[in-house]
Amino acid sequence: MPFFYEEATTPQGKPLLRLTAQGEVTLADAESLGARIEEGAPNHRWRILSIVEKGTEYSAGARKYFPSLQPKYGAIAVVVTSPIVRAAINMMMRLTGQAPNLHLFTTEAEGLAWLDGLEI
Amino acid sequence: MSVTIEGERVDQLLRIIVAAATGDYELRVPLVEEDDDEFLEVELGVNYLLEELALGKAKSDSQRQQLEARAEELAHQQSELVEALSTPVIAVWPGVLALPLVGRIDDERAARITAVLLERVAAERATHVILDLTGVGTIAGNTMPGLLRMVRAIGLLGASCLLTGISPAVAQQIVALGEVEGRAPVRALAQLSDALAHVLAQKGALRG
Repeated sequence: MPFFYEEATTPQGKPLLRLTAQGEVTLADAESLGARIEEGAPNHRWRILSIVEKGTEYSAGARKYFPSLQPKYGAIAVVVTSPIVRAAINMMMRLTGQAPNLHLFTTEAEGLAWLDGLEI
Repeated sequence: MSVTIEGERVDQLLRIIVAAATGDYELRVPLVEEDDDEFLEVELGVNYLLEELALGKAKSDSQRQQLEARAEELAHQQSELVEALSTPVIAVWPGVLALPLVGRIDDERAARITAVLLERVAAERATHVILDLTGVGTIAGNTMPGLLRMVRAIGLLGASCLLTGISPAVAQQIVALGEVEGRAPVRALAQLSDALAHVLAQKGALRG
C-alpha cells in the first residue's frame, strides 16, 4: 500500500490528516483517500499534509481520479523534494485547473505553516 | 520564460515522438532527477500521453478482437440458418414430401438439396416428392442435369417426383438438355396445390 495515513494536529492544534505516499500509486490507492475524505467520512474537508517520497509514480487511473477530490478536502500541502514527482503533481494540477487549496512545498514546516494560516 | 535545454534531451524526445507517430507507444522519455526544469514536465507529459495512447490501443485491440469473434459467430449462425432455409423439406401428407425452393440454385446448393432430400425420402419411406420451383429465378447452367439426376435418384428410392411452378426460362433449360438428360421420370404441374391434389387422388385420400 503506497499510502500511509495518520490523523494528527497542526502546530496550532487543527485536525490534520498526514499522508505519506511512496511507490506506485494505483486507482485503488487514490480511491482509498477519496473514501476517507468524501462527505460524511471522518476526514471530510480536513487539512491534509501529504509527504510524497522520491520515486513515487501515479498510474493513469490515479492521475485521472485525483482532480475529482478537489472539493472534498479543506486544503492539501504537498511536500515534495523530487523534481520528477513535482512534475507529475504539476501535471495533475493542470488537470484540476484552479486549485487554490493545493500547494507544493519542499519542507513539512512550510506546508504546516500554510495549512495553519488557512480559514477552512 | 526561457529554458536552456541540452540538445541530447530534445533529440531523445523527438525520437520518441517520431516512434509514436508510427504507432510505437512503448518507448518512454528517460527522466532524470537532476534535470530540474520546466522541460522535465514536458518530458513527463509526453510519457503520460504515450501511456494513454498505449492504453487506448490495447482497449481498441481488445474491442476489435471481440467484434471479430462476434462477426465470426454471426456468420456461422447465418450460414446454419441459410442452410436450413435452403432445403425446407415439409411432410405435407404421410408419405408425401414437398420442397419449395427459392432463389438461385447452383451446383453446391443442388448437391445439398439432393443429400437432404434423398435422406428424408429414405427415412420417411416417401411415395411422392413435390419440388416446387415457383420461387426459383434461375438455375445455374450446369446445375440442371444435377437436379434431374436427383429426380432419377428419388425414383430409384421408389418415390415419384412432381415438379411445380416451372418458369418459362427453367422449362427451356430442361428442354435444352435433350433426350438423354431429360429422361427423368418427371411429371410437371402448374402449382403446388395441383400436385398435392394429384397425389392425394392417387392415394385415394380424396375419395368419399
